[in-house]
Amino acid sequence: MFTKGELKRYDRQIMIPGLGKKGQEKLKKAQVFICGAGGLGSPIAIYLAAAGIGSIKIADHDRVELSNLNRQILHWEEDIGRKKIDSARDKLNKLNTSIKLEIIHETIDEENVLQMLDGVDAIADAMDNFQTRYILNKAAIEKNIPFFHGAVNGFEGRVMDIIPGKTACLRCMYHGPIPSEKFPVIGVTPAIIGSIQAMEIIKYIVGIGELLVDRLLVFDGLYMEFKEFKVKKNPECEHCGKMMKKNDNSGS
Amino acid sequence: MSVQINLHKTHRRYTNGQETINVEGETVGQCLEDLVVKYPPLRKEVFVKAGKLNPLMEIYLNGESAYPNELAREVKEGDRINLIYMLAGG
Repeated sequence: MFTKGELKRYDRQIMIPGLGKKGQEKLKKAQVFICGAGGLGSPIAIYLAAAGIGSIKIADHDRVELSNLNRQILHWEEDIGRKKIDSARDKLNKLNTSIKLEIIHETIDEENVLQMLDGVDAIADAMDNFQTRYILNKAAIEKNIPFFHGAVNGFEGRVMDIIPGKTACLRCMYHGPIPSEKFPVIGVTPAIIGSIQAMEIIKYIVGIGELLVDRLLVFDGLYMEFKEFKVKKNPECEHCGKMMKKNDNSGS
Repeated sequence: MSVQINLHKTHRRYTNGQETINVEGETVGQCLEDLVVKYPPLRKEVFVKAGKLNPLMEIYLNGESAYPNELAREVKEGDRINLIYMLAGG
Protein backbone atom coordinates (compact mmCIF):
# COMPACT_ATOMS: atom_id res chain seq x y z
CA MET A 1 0.00 0.00 0.00
CA PHE A 2 1.13 3.49 -0.77
CA THR A 3 0.52 6.78 0.96
CA LYS A 4 -0.86 9.69 -1.05
CA GLY A 5 2.59 11.23 -0.95
CA GLU A 6 4.19 8.10 -2.36
CA LEU A 7 1.67 7.90 -5.19
CA LYS A 8 2.45 11.49 -6.08
CA ARG A 9 6.21 11.06 -5.73
CA TYR A 10 6.35 7.99 -7.97
CA ASP A 11 3.55 9.03 -10.33
CA ARG A 12 5.78 9.35 -13.41
CA GLN A 13 7.26 5.89 -13.04
CA ILE A 14 4.01 4.20 -11.99
CA MET A 15 2.74 5.49 -15.36
CA ILE A 16 5.30 3.33 -17.17
CA PRO A 17 3.65 0.30 -18.80
CA GLY A 18 4.98 -2.81 -17.13
CA LEU A 19 5.98 -0.97 -13.97
CA GLY A 20 2.78 0.37 -12.47
CA LYS A 21 1.79 0.10 -8.80
CA LYS A 22 2.80 -3.55 -8.72
CA GLY A 23 6.32 -2.72 -9.83
CA GLN A 24 6.50 0.16 -7.42
CA GLU A 25 5.46 -2.18 -4.61
CA LYS A 26 8.32 -4.50 -5.58
CA LEU A 27 10.75 -1.60 -5.45
CA LYS A 28 9.43 -0.61 -2.05
CA LYS A 29 9.92 -4.11 -0.67
CA ALA A 30 13.41 -4.55 -2.10
CA GLN A 31 16.72 -4.25 -0.33
CA VAL A 32 19.77 -3.32 -2.40
CA PHE A 33 23.35 -3.47 -1.17
CA ILE A 34 25.60 -0.82 -2.71
CA CYS A 35 29.26 -1.72 -2.28
CA GLY A 36 31.03 1.60 -2.19
CA ALA A 37 29.88 5.20 -1.81
CA GLY A 38 32.25 6.68 -4.37
CA GLY A 39 32.06 7.46 -8.09
CA LEU A 40 29.74 4.62 -9.05
CA GLY A 41 28.05 4.35 -5.66
CA SER A 42 26.89 7.97 -5.80
CA PRO A 43 24.64 7.80 -8.88
CA ILE A 44 23.51 4.27 -8.04
CA ALA A 45 22.43 5.33 -4.55
CA ILE A 46 20.80 8.57 -5.70
CA TYR A 47 18.75 6.95 -8.46
CA LEU A 48 17.73 3.95 -6.38
CA ALA A 49 16.69 6.22 -3.51
CA ALA A 50 14.79 8.46 -5.92
CA ALA A 51 13.07 5.43 -7.47
CA GLY A 52 11.80 4.33 -4.06
CA ILE A 53 13.89 1.24 -3.32
CA GLY A 54 12.58 0.53 0.18
CA SER A 55 15.85 -0.38 1.79
CA ILE A 56 19.39 0.57 0.80
CA LYS A 57 22.49 -0.74 2.50
CA ILE A 58 25.80 1.00 1.72
CA ALA A 59 29.28 -0.09 2.73
CA ASP A 60 32.39 2.04 2.42
CA HIS A 61 35.49 2.32 4.61
CA ASP A 62 36.75 5.67 3.31
CA ARG A 63 36.48 9.28 4.33
CA VAL A 64 35.71 12.09 1.91
CA GLU A 65 38.72 13.80 0.34
CA LEU A 66 38.92 16.87 -1.87
CA SER A 67 40.13 14.72 -4.77
CA ASN A 68 36.87 12.71 -4.64
CA LEU A 69 34.67 15.65 -5.51
CA ASN A 70 35.15 15.57 -9.28
CA ARG A 71 32.98 12.47 -9.43
CA GLN A 72 31.55 11.38 -6.09
CA ILE A 73 28.47 13.55 -6.20
CA LEU A 74 27.05 12.34 -2.90
CA HIS A 75 29.84 14.24 -1.20
CA TRP A 76 30.34 17.98 -1.06
CA GLU A 77 33.06 20.34 0.18
CA GLU A 78 31.47 20.49 3.64
CA ASP A 79 31.89 16.70 3.91
CA ILE A 80 35.66 16.58 3.54
CA GLY A 81 37.05 14.45 6.37
CA ARG A 82 33.69 12.81 7.15
CA LYS A 83 32.99 9.15 6.66
CA LYS A 84 31.58 8.68 3.16
CA ILE A 85 28.72 6.59 4.49
CA ASP A 86 27.67 9.39 6.89
CA SER A 87 27.77 11.90 4.07
CA ALA A 88 25.85 9.50 1.82
CA ARG A 89 23.21 8.82 4.49
CA ASP A 90 22.62 12.55 5.04
CA LYS A 91 22.11 13.27 1.32
CA LEU A 92 19.93 10.25 0.67
CA ASN A 93 17.80 11.00 3.75
CA LYS A 94 17.20 14.47 2.40
CA LEU A 95 16.29 13.09 -1.01
CA ASN A 96 13.84 10.48 0.23
CA THR A 97 12.85 10.24 3.89
CA SER A 98 10.61 7.23 3.30
CA ILE A 99 13.37 4.74 2.53
CA LYS A 100 15.35 2.76 5.07
CA LEU A 101 19.10 3.28 5.01
CA GLU A 102 21.73 1.09 6.59
CA ILE A 103 25.33 2.23 6.55
CA ILE A 104 28.40 0.09 7.14
CA HIS A 105 31.79 1.64 7.76
CA GLU A 106 33.88 -1.44 7.06
CA THR A 107 36.18 -2.84 4.44
CA ILE A 108 34.39 -5.63 2.60
CA ASP A 109 36.38 -8.84 2.98
CA GLU A 110 35.90 -12.59 2.90
CA GLU A 111 35.13 -12.64 6.63
CA ASN A 112 32.27 -10.15 6.71
CA VAL A 113 30.80 -10.26 3.21
CA LEU A 114 28.24 -13.03 3.71
CA GLN A 115 26.79 -11.32 6.75
CA MET A 116 26.53 -8.06 4.82
CA LEU A 117 24.46 -9.82 2.19
CA ASP A 118 21.81 -11.06 4.62
CA GLY A 119 18.35 -10.05 3.40
CA VAL A 120 19.71 -8.42 0.24
CA ASP A 121 17.84 -8.77 -3.09
CA ALA A 122 20.48 -7.25 -5.37
CA ILE A 123 24.12 -6.17 -5.11
CA ALA A 124 25.49 -3.11 -6.87
CA ASP A 125 29.20 -3.26 -7.64
CA ALA A 126 30.58 0.19 -6.91
CA MET A 127 34.06 -0.91 -5.90
CA ASP A 128 37.33 0.53 -7.09
CA ASN A 129 39.36 -2.67 -7.22
CA PHE A 130 39.08 -6.17 -8.59
CA GLN A 131 40.08 -7.99 -5.41
CA THR A 132 36.91 -6.90 -3.62
CA ARG A 133 34.82 -7.40 -6.76
CA TYR A 134 35.88 -11.05 -6.83
CA ILE A 135 35.00 -11.42 -3.13
CA LEU A 136 31.56 -9.99 -3.90
CA ASN A 137 31.15 -12.07 -7.05
CA LYS A 138 31.89 -15.28 -5.13
CA ALA A 139 29.63 -14.33 -2.22
CA ALA A 140 26.81 -13.32 -4.58
CA ILE A 141 26.97 -16.75 -6.21
CA GLU A 142 27.10 -18.51 -2.85
CA LYS A 143 24.05 -16.56 -1.60
CA ASN A 144 22.31 -16.68 -4.99
CA ILE A 145 21.91 -12.90 -5.19
CA PRO A 146 22.15 -11.03 -8.52
CA PHE A 147 25.30 -8.94 -8.84
CA PHE A 148 25.35 -5.83 -11.03
CA HIS A 149 28.90 -5.15 -12.16
CA GLY A 150 30.18 -1.78 -13.25
CA ALA A 151 33.69 -0.36 -13.65
CA VAL A 152 35.27 2.79 -15.04
CA ASN A 153 38.57 4.28 -16.13
CA GLY A 154 39.01 7.68 -17.76
CA PHE A 155 36.23 8.13 -20.29
CA GLU A 156 35.53 4.39 -20.45
CA GLY A 157 33.21 2.12 -18.56
CA ARG A 158 31.66 -1.32 -18.63
CA VAL A 159 28.56 -2.96 -17.24
CA MET A 160 27.34 -6.54 -16.93
CA ASP A 161 24.61 -8.22 -14.87
CA ILE A 162 25.31 -11.54 -13.19
CA ILE A 163 22.48 -13.87 -12.25
CA PRO A 164 24.02 -16.68 -10.18
CA GLY A 165 23.70 -20.14 -11.67
CA LYS A 166 22.29 -18.82 -14.91
CA THR A 167 24.72 -16.40 -16.52
CA ALA A 168 28.43 -15.77 -16.88
CA CYS A 169 29.98 -14.25 -13.77
CA LEU A 170 32.85 -11.85 -13.27
CA ARG A 171 35.27 -14.68 -12.62
CA CYS A 172 34.34 -16.57 -15.79
CA MET A 173 36.97 -14.53 -17.65
CA TYR A 174 39.65 -14.53 -14.97
CA HIS A 175 43.21 -14.10 -16.23
CA GLY A 176 44.99 -13.68 -12.92
CA PRO A 177 45.47 -11.05 -10.24
CA ILE A 178 45.07 -7.41 -11.22
CA PRO A 179 46.93 -4.85 -9.13
CA SER A 180 44.98 -2.05 -7.44
CA GLU A 181 46.12 1.36 -8.51
CA LYS A 182 45.01 4.97 -8.63
CA PHE A 183 42.91 5.30 -11.76
CA PRO A 184 42.12 8.36 -13.88
CA VAL A 185 38.46 9.29 -14.31
CA ILE A 186 36.18 12.10 -15.39
CA GLY A 187 33.05 12.33 -13.23
CA VAL A 188 30.53 11.82 -15.98
CA THR A 189 31.87 8.33 -16.71
CA PRO A 190 30.73 6.82 -13.38
CA ALA A 191 27.58 8.95 -13.71
CA ILE A 192 26.74 7.10 -16.94
CA ILE A 193 27.86 3.64 -15.82
CA GLY A 194 26.31 3.92 -12.34
CA SER A 195 23.03 5.10 -13.87
CA ILE A 196 22.98 2.06 -16.15
CA GLN A 197 23.64 -0.19 -13.14
CA ALA A 198 20.77 1.47 -11.25
CA MET A 199 18.50 0.97 -14.25
CA GLU A 200 19.43 -2.71 -14.48
CA ILE A 201 18.70 -3.18 -10.77
CA ILE A 202 15.31 -1.49 -11.13
CA LYS A 203 14.49 -3.68 -14.16
CA TYR A 204 15.52 -6.81 -12.28
CA ILE A 205 13.45 -5.99 -9.21
CA VAL A 206 10.37 -5.00 -11.20
CA GLY A 207 10.86 -7.89 -13.64
CA ILE A 208 10.69 -5.94 -16.89
CA GLY A 209 12.85 -5.67 -19.97
CA GLU A 210 15.94 -7.65 -20.91
CA LEU A 211 18.85 -7.75 -18.52
CA LEU A 212 22.44 -7.26 -19.55
CA VAL A 213 23.34 -10.89 -18.97
CA ASP A 214 26.01 -12.81 -20.87
CA ARG A 215 26.65 -9.46 -22.56
CA LEU A 216 29.32 -6.95 -21.65
CA LEU A 217 28.40 -3.38 -22.45
CA VAL A 218 31.50 -1.28 -23.08
CA PHE A 219 31.24 2.50 -23.16
CA ASP A 220 33.80 4.90 -24.60
CA GLY A 221 32.86 8.50 -23.93
CA LEU A 222 35.67 9.93 -26.04
CA TYR A 223 34.23 8.35 -29.18
CA MET A 224 30.69 8.28 -27.73
CA GLU A 225 30.36 4.60 -28.52
CA PHE A 226 28.59 1.76 -26.80
CA LYS A 227 29.78 -1.67 -27.88
CA GLU A 228 28.43 -4.99 -26.78
CA PHE A 229 30.31 -8.27 -26.54
CA LYS A 230 28.98 -11.73 -25.83
CA VAL A 231 30.40 -13.38 -22.74
CA LYS A 232 30.21 -17.10 -22.15
CA LYS A 233 29.78 -19.03 -18.94
CA ASN A 234 32.97 -20.86 -18.11
CA PRO A 235 32.15 -24.40 -16.91
CA GLU A 236 35.51 -24.47 -15.14
CA CYS A 237 34.95 -21.13 -13.39
CA GLU A 238 36.17 -21.38 -9.82
CA HIS A 239 33.27 -19.26 -8.56
CA CYS A 240 30.23 -20.40 -10.51
CA GLY A 241 31.35 -23.60 -12.27
CA LYS A 242 30.01 -25.96 -9.58
CA MET A 243 26.67 -24.17 -9.46
CA MET A 244 26.40 -24.38 -13.25
CA LYS A 245 27.06 -28.11 -13.23
CA LYS A 246 24.50 -28.62 -10.42
CA ASN A 247 21.88 -26.68 -12.37
CA ASP A 248 22.67 -28.53 -15.60
CA ASN A 249 22.33 -31.89 -13.85
CA SER A 250 19.00 -30.92 -12.31
CA GLY A 251 17.77 -29.87 -15.74
CA SER A 252 17.07 -26.28 -14.67
CA MET B 1 44.08 -15.94 -43.27
CA SER B 2 43.62 -12.20 -43.24
CA VAL B 3 42.06 -11.06 -39.99
CA GLN B 4 41.17 -7.61 -38.75
CA ILE B 5 42.27 -6.52 -35.28
CA ASN B 6 40.43 -3.62 -33.65
CA LEU B 7 42.80 -2.02 -31.20
CA HIS B 8 41.97 -0.42 -27.91
CA LYS B 9 42.44 3.33 -28.17
CA THR B 10 45.47 3.33 -25.85
CA HIS B 11 47.20 1.05 -28.36
CA ARG B 12 46.62 3.35 -31.28
CA ARG B 13 49.53 5.60 -30.30
CA TYR B 14 51.73 2.76 -31.53
CA THR B 15 49.95 2.53 -34.89
CA ASN B 16 49.86 6.19 -35.91
CA GLY B 17 46.28 6.38 -34.72
CA GLN B 18 45.09 3.45 -36.82
CA GLU B 19 42.25 1.59 -35.14
CA THR B 20 42.12 -1.48 -37.31
CA ILE B 21 45.11 -3.49 -38.41
CA ASN B 22 45.02 -6.37 -40.88
CA VAL B 23 47.11 -9.32 -39.79
CA GLU B 24 47.76 -12.87 -40.93
CA GLY B 25 47.45 -16.07 -38.95
CA GLU B 26 45.60 -19.33 -38.39
CA THR B 27 44.94 -18.71 -34.70
CA VAL B 28 44.30 -15.71 -32.47
CA GLY B 29 47.81 -16.16 -31.06
CA GLN B 30 49.41 -16.07 -34.52
CA CYS B 31 47.39 -12.98 -35.42
CA LEU B 32 48.52 -11.20 -32.26
CA GLU B 33 52.11 -12.23 -32.92
CA ASP B 34 51.85 -10.76 -36.42
CA LEU B 35 50.46 -7.58 -34.86
CA VAL B 36 53.33 -7.14 -32.41
CA VAL B 37 55.89 -7.94 -35.10
CA LYS B 38 54.40 -5.12 -37.19
CA TYR B 39 54.22 -2.80 -34.17
CA PRO B 40 56.90 -3.93 -31.68
CA PRO B 41 55.98 -1.47 -28.87
CA LEU B 42 52.63 -3.26 -28.65
CA ARG B 43 54.28 -6.48 -27.47
CA LYS B 44 54.60 -5.31 -23.87
CA GLU B 45 50.97 -4.17 -23.88
CA VAL B 46 49.53 -7.42 -25.19
CA PHE B 47 51.81 -10.04 -23.65
CA VAL B 48 53.47 -10.30 -20.25
CA LYS B 49 55.81 -12.91 -21.71
CA ALA B 50 55.91 -15.09 -24.81
CA GLY B 51 52.58 -16.80 -25.21
CA LYS B 52 51.13 -15.27 -22.02
CA LEU B 53 48.51 -12.53 -22.37
CA ASN B 54 48.48 -9.41 -20.24
CA PRO B 55 45.89 -10.28 -17.53
CA LEU B 56 44.18 -6.94 -18.13
CA MET B 57 43.61 -7.74 -21.78
CA GLU B 58 40.41 -9.32 -23.03
CA ILE B 59 40.01 -10.75 -26.50
CA TYR B 60 36.74 -10.94 -28.38
CA LEU B 61 36.50 -12.87 -31.61
CA ASN B 62 33.67 -11.74 -33.87
CA GLY B 63 32.03 -10.05 -30.89
CA GLU B 64 32.24 -13.06 -28.56
CA SER B 65 34.61 -13.66 -25.71
CA ALA B 66 37.48 -15.89 -26.84
CA TYR B 67 38.25 -16.94 -23.26
CA PRO B 68 39.63 -19.42 -22.25
CA ASN B 69 42.61 -20.53 -24.36
CA GLU B 70 42.21 -17.42 -26.48
CA LEU B 71 45.54 -17.71 -28.20
CA ALA B 72 44.75 -21.21 -29.52
CA ARG B 73 41.43 -20.22 -31.05
CA GLU B 74 41.33 -20.79 -34.79
CA VAL B 75 40.37 -17.91 -37.04
CA LYS B 76 38.83 -17.72 -40.50
CA GLU B 77 39.37 -15.30 -43.34
CA GLY B 78 37.67 -12.00 -42.52
CA ASP B 79 37.34 -12.63 -38.76
CA ARG B 80 37.43 -9.69 -36.41
CA ILE B 81 39.40 -9.56 -33.17
CA ASN B 82 38.74 -6.86 -30.57
CA LEU B 83 41.34 -6.12 -27.90
CA ILE B 84 39.86 -4.43 -24.87
CA TYR B 85 41.03 -3.70 -21.36
CA MET B 86 39.44 -4.78 -18.14
CA LEU B 87 38.61 -1.75 -16.04
CA ALA B 88 38.95 -1.68 -12.27
CA GLY B 89 37.94 1.83 -11.22
CA GLY B 90 34.73 2.80 -9.50
